Amino acid sequence: MSASPRILLVKTALDGHWRGLSVVARALRDGGFHVIMGGMLTGPDIVRTALDEDVDLVGLNVGGSVQVVERVVTDLRAARPELPVFAGGAISPSNCRRLAALGVETYPPGSSLEDIVAAARRLTGQAAPG
Amino acid sequence: MSSSSAPPATPITRSGIPLKPAYGPEDVPAGHRAVMGTLPGQAPFHRGCFPQGYRTKPWRIFQLSGFGKPEDENERIKFLLKHGETGFLMEHDRNTADHLYNVDHAEVEARREDVGLTGAVMQSVRDTAICLDGIPIETTYGHAGGAVVQHGPFALAAYWTVAKRRGIDLAQLGGTGQSDFFLTYLGCVTKQQIPTRAGLRLNADIIEFCGRHLPKWVPVSIAGYNGGDSGLNAWQELGAVMANAIEYLDEVKRRGNLDLTAAAYRVGGVNFRTTMEIFEDAAKLRAARKMWHHLLTTRYGITDERALRMRIHIVTAGSMMTYQQPFNNIVRGTLMALSAVLGGTQSLGVSGYDEAISIPSEHAHQMSVRIQQILQHECNLQNVADPLGGSYYVEAMTAELERRGWEFAAEIAAEGGFLAALDSGWLHAKARDNQVADMQSEEDGHRLVVGVNEFRDDATPYVVDGFPGVNDAYEVARARLEAVKRERHEQGALHALKDLERACRGSDNVMPAMMAALDAEVTLGEIGDVYRSVFGDWRTPEVVGT
Repeated sequence: MSASPRILLVKTALDGHWRGLSVVARALRDGGFHVIMGGMLTGPDIVRTALDEDVDLVGLNVGGSVQVVERVVTDLRAARPELPVFAGGAISPSNCRRLAALGVETYPPGSSLEDIVAAARRLTGQAAPG
Repeated sequence: MSSSSAPPATPITRSGIPLKPAYGPEDVPAGHRAVMGTLPGQAPFHRGCFPQGYRTKPWRIFQLSGFGKPEDENERIKFLLKHGETGFLMEHDRNTADHLYNVDHAEVEARREDVGLTGAVMQSVRDTAICLDGIPIETTYGHAGGAVVQHGPFALAAYWTVAKRRGIDLAQLGGTGQSDFFLTYLGCVTKQQIPTRAGLRLNADIIEFCGRHLPKWVPVSIAGYNGGDSGLNAWQELGAVMANAIEYLDEVKRRGNLDLTAAAYRVGGVNFRTTMEIFEDAAKLRAARKMWHHLLTTRYGITDERALRMRIHIVTAGSMMTYQQPFNNIVRGTLMALSAVLGGTQSLGVSGYDEAISIPSEHAHQMSVRIQQILQHECNLQNVADPLGGSYYVEAMTAELERRGWEFAAEIAAEGGFLAALDSGWLHAKARDNQVADMQSEEDGHRLVVGVNEFRDDATPYVVDGFPGVNDAYEVARARLEAVKRERHEQGALHALKDLERACRGSDNVMPAMMAALDAEVTLGEIGDVYRSVFGDWRTPEVVGT
């Protein structure tokens, strides 16, 4: 493959707990991705950053309500319909279903890093290494 | 991720201390053996603060609680008190409180559905009054909130103003603040916070203010919990708590406004976490008390026994609670609570079984209280103090944690002290390394977590979907913000805000001006604007990545 796929990781809520995101970011970097840490961004800022950084995938760290996440996803779809989005964090089973309906895969606490990295490869069209 | 790590050759604790198959007298180092025979209530207090242990006073049942509108939080607090909670804790909305934003701030408006999710919105003393309505704060121990350093003075002043308006003598009021550096600068680094040096000044102001006016109040509470659940291991948590206490006490000493013994007593209400590592964590509490005694006697020459006794509040580790098979967490909560009780905690909060999904539902909250009541009433745990005392294993572990804890405190000192270790990101890097290693050992299957990486079949007939919260917190907060600004005496409010700004810019204690500002119905966001202009913004260490 050519250049490393680029992933933007952002927090949708004003919640600074960083442990989960930090571990996921490390695993993605180890998995060969170029990870851009966006921090706590509003919806419009997430869209702007995704476009400016020309990313291949957006990872949303959810520490708040599903409605905010849905709005971010809708904004991203409007700006770049083909850009894949996945999400992790404290997302209830019913909210996982709501996000699945928008085409967003979810990785709640207890998800394995291996699964998350595999999802990132699949969503960015990378073949898994032999 | 299957490539990376080999299983440890010998069994180790979660913090990496090697374990022997059995322990004998020779495993307890001589220095510790010399104090092994002391009784509970005797210095150096590793065996507990009081000779009679829980016979003197049962541990306080003290749960984190709050969401939605102030009246929603009020209702939940009353629910918990009715079911047997013996103190109460006010959570504030993270979006507004932690950042000192009003709800009309652009950052909050962009996330309006998040408002009230983790605590009630309290933008003026009116909101705090609603939250406390009908709660007898003159007789019930309350935690005013203000977990984040920059929010502490506001939360405390709001609580105390409500008390004063009820005619309560502040000198008689019991309760606690928090203003925790671990949460603010390590565990939950918000989008904006005042620099550590300004935070230290505010905390010293609170300590001195309480020394003068609220002798029964715990002004600030160092929360090793927030370091631990961010990644610091047991002995790092101990060392970092001591390093934090050194910053507070050195500052109070430097200022010279408050007797150091009185200050030490106030700073000695500390919060740790217990995890599923039952014996290591029980030993951690024993080591903490011994270290506190050592720190105060050797560094500060304090001799007053009341000050030398560290009082401990435990919250069971939220990070141990699994998203998968959440009812297993009732067992985890019980075991972590047992560890805290065996270690001699003074108060306890048990995380909800739905912790990995949301804030606690009413049922999860009730279960957390019930777990504690079962431990208090069905297990005969309260009648014998320090039941682990004399166990070669636990005494050896206590001594080892103490040794490693002081080593870590010395490393922090070599970094320039606790504040410097936060400013540089040194402490965050330590936490991050453990986060990664912890996750890796789970990923590689070296550590099994039931329901997560093993035993995954789930026959639970219920779906636990977490607590949905309320959906009108933002709108109501918005209307109340407009009302308070419309109805207050505007000149008085602006005048009080100016006085507060002057106090912040100068070196006077900010608390009298903060009390006046709250009484004049100055709002949270206005105070935040003053802080931002006076103190500026802390630069979040790179390693946090947010």
